[in-house]
Amino acid sequence: MRALDQLDRLELFVLDALVVAGQTPDARLEELVRADRQAVRAAVERLADLALAWQSTSGLRPLTGVADVLQAGPADARSGLQTASADPLPLAEAARRIAEVSPAARAMLEHVCDAGGEATTGSARHTVLPADATTPAEELLARRLLVPRGSVVVVPGEVGIALRGGHTTTEPVDDVPEVATTERDAALVDRTAAGAAFELVRRVELLLDHWGTTPPSALRSGGLGVRELRAAAGYLQLDEATTALVVEVAWGAGLIATAADADGNPAWAPTDQFDQWSSRSSQERWAALVSAWLESPRMPGLVGSRDPAGKPWNALSPELSGVHMAETRRMTLAALAALPAGQVLAAGTGLPSLVALLTWQRPRRPRTRADQVAWTVAEAATLGVTGLGGVASYAGPLLDGDPAGASAALADLLPAPVDHVLLQADLTAVAPGPLETALARQLQLVADVESRGGATVYRFTSGSVRRALDVGWSAAELHAFLGSVSRTPVPQPLTYLVDDTVRTFGTVRVGHAEAFLRADDESALTELLHHPRAASLGLRRIAPTVVISTTPLDVLLPRLRELGAAPVVEGADGSVHVARRDVVRARTPRDRRGAGLRSARDAARVQQVVAAVRAGDVAASHRPASSTALTPSGSLAALREAVEVGATVLIGYVDNHGVRSERVVDPRSVEGGVLTARDHRTGEERTFAVHRIGLVRPIDDGAAS
Amino acid sequence: MNDGPLIVQSDKTLLLEIDHERAADCRKAIAPFAELERSPEHIHTYRLTPLGLWNARAAGHDAEQVVDTLLEYSRYAVPHALLVDVAETMARYGRLRLEKHPTHGLVLSSTDRPVLEEVLRAKKVQGMLGARIDDDSVVVHGSERGNLKQALLKLGWPAEDFAGYVDGESHPIELDQADWTLRDYQREAAESFWHGGSGVVVLPCGAGKTLVGAAAMAEAKATTLILVTNTVSARQWKDELVRRTSLTAEEIGEYSGAVKEVRPVTIATYQVLTTKRKGVYPHLELLDARDWGLIVYDEVHLLPAPIFRMTADLQARRRIGLTATLVREDGREGDVFSLIGPKRYDAPWKDIEAQGWIAPADCVEVRVTLPASERLVYATAEPEERYRLAACTHHKVDVVRDLVARHAGRPTLVIGQYLDQLDELSAALDAPVIKGDTSVAERQRLFEAFRSGELGLLVVSKVANFSIDLPSAEVAIQVSGSFGSRQEEAQRLGRLLRPGEGGKVARFYTIVSRDTVDAEFAQNRQRFLAEQGYAYRIVDAEDLGTLAP
Repeated sequence: MRALDQLDRLELFVLDALVVAGQTPDARLEELVRADRQAVRAAVERLADLALAWQSTSGLRPLTGVADVLQAGPADARSGLQTASADPLPLAEAARRIAEVSPAARAMLEHVCDAGGEATTGSARHTVLPADATTPAEELLARRLLVPRGSVVVVPGEVGIALRGGHTTTEPVDDVPEVATTERDAALVDRTAAGAAFELVRRVELLLDHWGTTPPSALRSGGLGVRELRAAAGYLQLDEATTALVVEVAWGAGLIATAADADGNPAWAPTDQFDQWSSRSSQERWAALVSAWLESPRMPGLVGSRDPAGKPWNALSPELSGVHMAETRRMTLAALAALPAGQVLAAGTGLPSLVALLTWQRPRRPRTRADQVAWTVAEAATLGVTGLGGVASYAGPLLDGDPAGASAALADLLPAPVDHVLLQADLTAVAPGPLETALARQLQLVADVESRGGATVYRFTSGSVRRALDVGWSAAELHAFLGSVSRTPVPQPLTYLVDDTVRTFGTVRVGHAEAFLRADDESALTELLHHPRAASLGLRRIAPTVVISTTPLDVLLPRLRELGAAPVVEGADGSVHVARRDVVRARTPRDRRGAGLRSARDAARVQQVVAAVRAGDVAASHRPASSTALTPSGSLAALREAVEVGATVLIGYVDNHGVRSERVVDPRSVEGGVLTARDHRTGEERTFAVHRIGLVRPIDDGAAS
Repeated sequence: MNDGPLIVQSDKTLLLEIDHERAADCRKAIAPFAELERSPEHIHTYRLTPLGLWNARAAGHDAEQVVDTLLEYSRYAVPHALLVDVAETMARYGRLRLEKHPTHGLVLSSTDRPVLEEVLRAKKVQGMLGARIDDDSVVVHGSERGNLKQALLKLGWPAEDFAGYVDGESHPIELDQADWTLRDYQREAAESFWHGGSGVVVLPCGAGKTLVGAAAMAEAKATTLILVTNTVSARQWKDELVRRTSLTAEEIGEYSGAVKEVRPVTIATYQVLTTKRKGVYPHLELLDARDWGLIVYDEVHLLPAPIFRMTADLQARRRIGLTATLVREDGREGDVFSLIGPKRYDAPWKDIEAQGWIAPADCVEVRVTLPASERLVYATAEPEERYRLAACTHHKVDVVRDLVARHAGRPTLVIGQYLDQLDELSAALDAPVIKGDTSVAERQRLFEAFRSGELGLLVVSKVANFSIDLPSAEVAIQVSGSFGSRQEEAQRLGRLLRPGEGGKVARFYTIVSRDTVDAEFAQNRQRFLAEQGYAYRIVDAEDLGTLAP
């Protein structure tokens, strides 16, 4: 079956003819298929190679089982003829007999043949002489143009072939669909594609650099959440579909993987391979990304739509792949690459024609192929494999499995990396081309990026300069760096900005301390600092009168006292806390309530009990002699009546816990299967589920109160 | 790879390397559709905006030309998405047309019915339209022409306006070029305005915008209403017109707080037009007083909001806006374009300077350090008080005195925001001060004395920000301003740029208190000028001695 999936339409029809005709010599087979003989011969060879057919002494024979698989395949990839009879009529004889029958019979024969070659005959007699035939069916049966097979009659293969003029089909099967094209300058195609290729590399690097510091969380199912994708799209200034592609390509190339974030939750982060990747040249990086994409079974085109169960497809989720995707992608690109130079896919009609071509090449592929071809075309354009609908010249080697050749060819089209920027007095710097990676990283540290693309515009602000100082740059280093990267003199305002930022940098110092020691007497602190046993206290003098300690206050205080100092504790507001030993006290037992309260409570409890007992008495007095449970409709009617007359009723009720009880209630309303009533036991209004009421019996009010 | 001067970024900015040999050609080629955003010394930044692309369409450029230009000059591959976007944006223009219909008056019609349907369903547009004439056209209320155009612009379907302009009452006006001639850029500006019908001309301060206005009037040859910022400026316009054109003083009327004349050419102030009494604008009828053929908006970046609304009703008349700095701190630049018209002419300051029409300027930021006591006061002050405290430090007075002494003999302006500070300076420097409460006559007398050289030092408040012609000024010292206003800074520098004799180099000092909001605002204020290529030097007050005079 796998082998069958690899066949194109012609090959399938050759195989089909073989199945119909049974064991056939090659020459005969070539006649049967309505196609160029050369092509048929090639097809036969391929079938033999794939062992779908084999040469016996008297001719070619199909592999057993092929017939069934063919039968289950798509209808437009087989002739629809039944197999020939074991003892087939010669073609000429079949044709003669067809010529004999009446027009009605012929029409019937054609219809049956086109509709699968199989029919039921109803009342027709199966054994008649041609002369006795009264109905068209009998005419056909009599001439063995229809042959009974089991409970049905069939048109034998040889008759079908005769009916179709000696071939298995009425239409030729070797007309390969043409791809609609338009003309485009090949150089323009290359330039456009190279632009896209450059953008791809830039975007992957940009996004992964970003994710390196703020990794997006991974879904439990392994994908990237919709919100995270949207954030990434916003960051890249792209639409979500393209962002999904960028993310998937990066993942395919092994540049991202899940890792635990600071809280231990899974998150997507760049891999160590990303570091290797980003140290290479743009063209090599591109080749690495696109090679991975070519082989990938991933289908980023699905992101944004929903699966049959209504769940949205997430980027990077494991389910987002298809077994045929890689093959379809390769074939699509091969079809594009096969276009003559200067020809590219036509804007509107190109895509459908490409789908038609692929359908011809692999008729047995699934129906989603049209989507897959469209995705491939769109993705290839985004990835810089194609430009304006044509495969870029440099992508050719890549399709042939030579990424090094492809990247070498691409190198000439990419902007050469530059090693300098132009500094301007408005505190911007422009890199007139892609910067060398290391330089770009340094610049990104000391300046904010304002605009990206072929060139990059940076803006220096005091914030960005401070960022560089934060990671340990010194003013001299900054000046030297600016001087070395700039082709033009460093503008005076920029120099000033750096100096000014350096001047205020670190004015306020922050550190960690557990406690502080303050004394107006400097010598007291000095003495303490130099005490031989004070070393373990982690004391450090930060001002003549202030010492900090890394020891917590509750440990520090007794240790200081041991050292002979007499410290007092200072509160947050500077007030002195006097330390006094805490005296332990237990809590007084609770039972100290007044007698009056207790007796009032008892009285209330007695009253409640009496009310409950009385309600129970009323219930008991109305207990039926024989407690036959009412049907739900019966109790419903009884309750409605009670509501109408305002009567008090006794109900038997099963509560949530399955406990059966009897209540005396005043029904208020019955609605939606729920009875609202005042329960005499509690005196409150509550609801009862009608289906749980097994007994309703009216009682008179006098007895209830 | 192509060795062009242009780099097209995916965020729709265009970077032009100006040292490139083809930079000049490239600039000419992209000017019709790209907006110049920044022009510092090495790389100029242009931006592609829908408005710019539509203006290019209106001027007869099509998408193919734009795309070709980008491809031709671009150094690297142009992002495909950007080209598609350019083509799509430009294709939106002109699907809707505003036309004069012989029976129905003003009509909005379309060649693309779905677009018309979409627009008709927009809530904002509904009230401006009348009855449907047929499937493709609908009546527009005459008074809503401007509002409709603005609303359609916002919907992304700009209408092409074929309804034309009213000619107005004819009045003969000629330029009188006996002893002077119109400069090239002035003529280009006036011509491109006239071909476009309406629009804004952006020229640096001191580059002679008044003459562009006069040239436009000479083209129109019709009664003209000129709207200016203040009375002094109105008088200057009048003098200039009398001097440069065939108009006589009798033909020019002034319509201000003091005088209310309506003549064939009338100069009115924004202030008098927007005066509101009992909920009505009594002077608005001036707009209908005559059948104006041209309306000139001087310093259009200051156009007050009520005038915006009135302008919307004046769409049938030709309008020209003049400004040096089309940056509005309220971010309503877009309204200026849609109401007055698109930018018709723009020249980078440095270009005009290179041609010698405005004086070169040397901008210096002097940083003073607040004394410890003042820093303490500043640190504990309320946020809204901080700028005033930082800007008005007494320390600045010493620096000003020092600077004035260094430039003794050169006409110097000291400009500030806070009146107390100005009074203090005036006393310290022994110089007259002009503030909001100084009478017009007194102002004119002082300005005249300054112009003639009789007075070498003048302390002024923000009243002198605009439209005051002080060609002799060579040094300006700014001590405080209205917070981070970029256009104020540019306008103040503009006071110095009228070219003088003997290749003067103007000096523009800004005195700023270090480590305070004053310094932050100064940065923001300088952005416009820095983007125009004016490089500020920063000098510590203590180091002033090292500065060349």
